[in-house]
Amino acid sequence: MVSVEIVKRYPGFTLDVSWRAEKSVVGLFGPSGAGKTLTLQCLAGLIRPDAGRIVVDDRVFFDAAASIDLPPQQRRIGYVFQGYALFPHLTVEENVAFGLRDRPRAERLRRSAEVIERLGLGGLELRYPRELSGGQRQRVALGRALAIDPALLLLDEPLSALDVPLRRTLRDELRETLRGFETAAVVVTHDFTEAYRLADRIVVYESGRVIQSAPRAELLWQPASEAVARIMGLANVLRGTVVKATPERIQIGWRGQTLEAVNSPTRSYLPPPDSPIAFFIRPEYVRLIRKDRGAPDPQHHMNLMSGRLVGEADFGTVWTLRLRLDAPGAPAQGDFDLEVEVPHLVYEILEIDRDRHWQLSIHRGSIHVLPA
Amino acid sequence: MDWFPVWLSLRVALTATALTLLAGVPTALLLARKRFPGRNVLEAMVVLPLVLPPTVLGYYLLVVIGSRGPVGRALAAVGVEFAFTWGAAVLAACVGSIALVIKSAQAGFETVDRQLEQAARTLGRSEWSVFWSVTLPLAWRSVLAGAVLAFCRALGEFGITLMVAGNIPGRTQTLPLAIYDRVQAAQMGEANALALIAVAVVVVLLFGLSRLARLRY
Amino acid sequence: MRCPLLPAVALAWLALGSGPARAAEPPPLTVFAAADLVFAFKEIVPRFEKALGVRVTLVLGSTGQLAQQIEHGGPADVFFAADQAFVDRLVAERVLLGETRALYAQGRIVLATARAIGWKLTELRDLTGPNVRHVAIANPAHAPYGKAAEEALRKAGVWDAVRPKLVYGENIRHTLQFLQTGAAEAGIVALSVATVPEIDWVPIDPRLHAPLNQATAVVRRSPRPELGLAFIQFVNGPDGRPIMKRYGFLLPGEF
Repeated sequence: MVSVEIVKRYPGFTLDVSWRAEKSVVGLFGPSGAGKTLTLQCLAGLIRPDAGRIVVDDRVFFDAAASIDLPPQQRRIGYVFQGYALFPHLTVEENVAFGLRDRPRAERLRRSAEVIERLGLGGLELRYPRELSGGQRQRVALGRALAIDPALLLLDEPLSALDVPLRRTLRDELRETLRGFETAAVVVTHDFTEAYRLADRIVVYESGRVIQSAPRAELLWQPASEAVARIMGLANVLRGTVVKATPERIQIGWRGQTLEAVNSPTRSYLPPPDSPIAFFIRPEYVRLIRKDRGAPDPQHHMNLMSGRLVGEADFGTVWTLRLRLDAPGAPAQGDFDLEVEVPHLVYEILEIDRDRHWQLSIHRGSIHVLPA
Repeated sequence: MDWFPVWLSLRVALTATALTLLAGVPTALLLARKRFPGRNVLEAMVVLPLVLPPTVLGYYLLVVIGSRGPVGRALAAVGVEFAFTWGAAVLAACVGSIALVIKSAQAGFETVDRQLEQAARTLGRSEWSVFWSVTLPLAWRSVLAGAVLAFCRALGEFGITLMVAGNIPGRTQTLPLAIYDRVQAAQMGEANALALIAVAVVVVLLFGLSRLARLRY
Repeated sequence: MRCPLLPAVALAWLALGSGPARAAEPPPLTVFAAADLVFAFKEIVPRFEKALGVRVTLVLGSTGQLAQQIEHGGPADVFFAADQAFVDRLVAERVLLGETRALYAQGRIVLATARAIGWKLTELRDLTGPNVRHVAIANPAHAPYGKAAEEALRKAGVWDAVRPKLVYGENIRHTLQFLQTGAAEAGIVALSVATVPEIDWVPIDPRLHAPLNQATAVVRRSPRPELGLAFIQFVNGPDGRPIMKRYGFLLPGEF
C-alpha cells in the first residue's frame, strides 16, 4: 500500500499531490513537467519534500511533521530511471548484482542469475551496457531494480526511450514481469495506452496537481473533467447545451441535433436545462451505417446523423475519418464535426474511398458526459 | 656526481602527490557536488597558490612554521623540527601543486552523471561506497591527470621550497635547487646532467602512464 | 589487478625511503653565506674541513633571504652576509651573537662589459651610449651590490639615463649571467665574481657608493658556537685571507 501526500515548492512550480494505492501497479499519467518524475524522486528519497507524508507498506518513509526522512539507502526501493542509468563501467551481471552487496556471495550469485534468466538476459552477463540494444538495457535496468526484492518499484517512462515497434512488445513483457515478480510499482508515463496497459490504477497529473485518481477502466470511460479528457488525448471532446437531465439520461443539444447520452454512473450529475455541458465520443464507437441493408431503424440506431467526409488519414491498421454533418452552421471542430475511426477492413468493404456521404449512429452509452 | 638531490626530489614528489590526492580529491568532490556558503572563497583559496609569487608564498609559510611561528613553536614544544627539513619541502610541493589535483578531479567528477550516483543510493550503497564504486571509477582519468600534473609540479618546485626548506645540500637541496646551485657555481656539466635526469624521470612516468591509460573501465 | 599503479607507487616510495633521503648525520657546521662568496668559499671550506677535521655544509643564497631564514629558525651556525646591515639587525634582535660579529671583507663593484660586443666600456658615463641597450645590475631592492650600483650610478649622474635600460638580477651571480650570455651588453657586478672569461671589467671608484662592508657572526642558536667562531677566524686568518684576496675582496685592515 502506497500513500503519498507531498508538497514541494520551486520558483514557478508547486507540486501538491495526494493519492494512495493498494498493492498493485499505479500509473502516474500526465503531460511533461506535471510533477510525475518529481513524485518518484520524493518516493525514492532523492528529493526532500517541503511538507507531507509518504508511507509504503506501513513504513513511514517521510513525515515532515515528525522530522522523519529515510535516506534512499534504507527505503528498499527499486528505481528504473528514464535513461536507465546503467553503470557503464560494469558488466550486466555486475549491474544487476549491484544492490546485493550486503548479501553472502552464494546468495548474491544465485539471485542475480535468477533475475538475469527470468528477464531473458541469459548469455549477456559479461557484456557492457554500451554493447546492448535498447530493449536489453531496459531489461537490465529492470533486473537491477528487481534483484534487491524491493518493497516498491518505481519506473520513470520505462518505454519512452525505445522504438515504437519494440515498445509494444516490451510493454507486454513489462506487464508480465511486474505481475510475475508481484512487486508493487509506480509507473510514470505520458502515454495513456501505456498507462492503461501497465497500471491497475491511474493517477492523472496536471501542473503539479492530481486531477483524477481512479481504476483504469473508470478513467477510460469516465474522465473526471474536460482537462482529464484533453490530457488523455481523447478525440471528439465537444460542447453542447443541456436539454434535459435525469439520473439515467442526459439530453444534449448539439449542432442542431438532440443527442441522448447516459448519465455518469459514478456520480449524480443533474445540470439544469440550457446549461453548457462537455462530452466526448470515442471515434471508434461512431458507427457508419451500411447502405445495403435498407433504411436505418431509429430504435436500433440511436443518435442518427448524417454527414460528408471532409478528411481522412490512413494509420496503417485503421483509418481516421473526419465528417462534417449535414446540419447548418459552423462545424464543431474546425472544418469537421466528428472524428470517426474505422478498421481497414471496414473501410474497404464499405468502399469509403469512393462513397463520401454517410449516415452514422452513436449508441447512447458511447457518448460520455464530462462533469464540469 | 651527487645523487642525493635526485633521491630527495623523487621522495618529496611522491609524498606530496599522495598527500595532495588525499586532501585534494575530497575537496574536489565537495566543490563538484555541493552548493554551500563560502564556496567561492574556497575556490579562490585553492587557486591562490598558483597566483602568488613562490617566494612570497614561501615567506608566509616560513612565518607560520618557522621558529617564530605558531605552528613552528607548537612543534618545537614536542621536539619536532619541520621548517628546513625534507618535510617542509613536501609542504612546499603540496602547496604548489594541490590546485592541479583539485581542478582536474573536480572537472572529472562534474562529468559523472548524477543519476548514476542516485541509482547507487537507491540500491543501498552508502555515500562512501557510491564514491568508490561509481564516481571515482568513472572519473579516474581526470584524477590521474591531476596526480601526474601534481607530481611533475612537485618535482620541479623551486621558489617555495627554497624559502621554507632552504637550499641545504644533503638535507633539503632538491633536484631543481641543485641544478640552480650548480649553475650559480658555474658547474654546467653537473647542472646539465641533473636536468637531464629530471627530464628522463618525467618521460618514463608519462610513458608508463599512457600505457596504463589504455586500460578500459 | 584493477589498479597496478597503486602497488607500484607504494613500492617506489618504500624503495626511496631506504635511499639516502636523509644525510647520514647533520654535519657539525652549517655555513649560510651570500652568493658572491661562492668561488672563494668553495676553496676555503675544504681547507677548513681538513684543518679541523669537521664537516661543513655550505648553503649559498641571497643575503636577504638567508637572513629571513635564520630569523625563522634556519639551521645556520654562522652567517656571512654581503651587507653588514643584515648582520647588525640580527645582532640587535639577538639572533646572532654580537660578541662574534666581525667584518670579513669589503666588496668592490666593477663596470663590466660583455666581451662578445667587441669593445670595452671604461667609465659609467659610457652606459648612456646608444650601443648599450641593456645594463645588468643586481636588484637594488634587496641585493647590497645592487644598492651600491644604484648609488654609484646616481653619484655619477647617469641614473636617469641608464634606468630605462636596467635589467635586474636576483643576486650577483644571476646578474653575471646576463653578461655572460650577452643578454646585457654591460653591467655592474661584484669584483669577486668578475673573473670570468666572458667579461672585461674596470674598477668603479669606491667613493661613489657606501662601503660594501661584509660582516659575519655566529648564530645564537648554534649548538657549537665555538666551531662557527673558528670558521670566522679561519676566513680572517692566514689561511683564508689570501684566497679572499685572490677573489677580489678587500680584507679587514685594508679598508
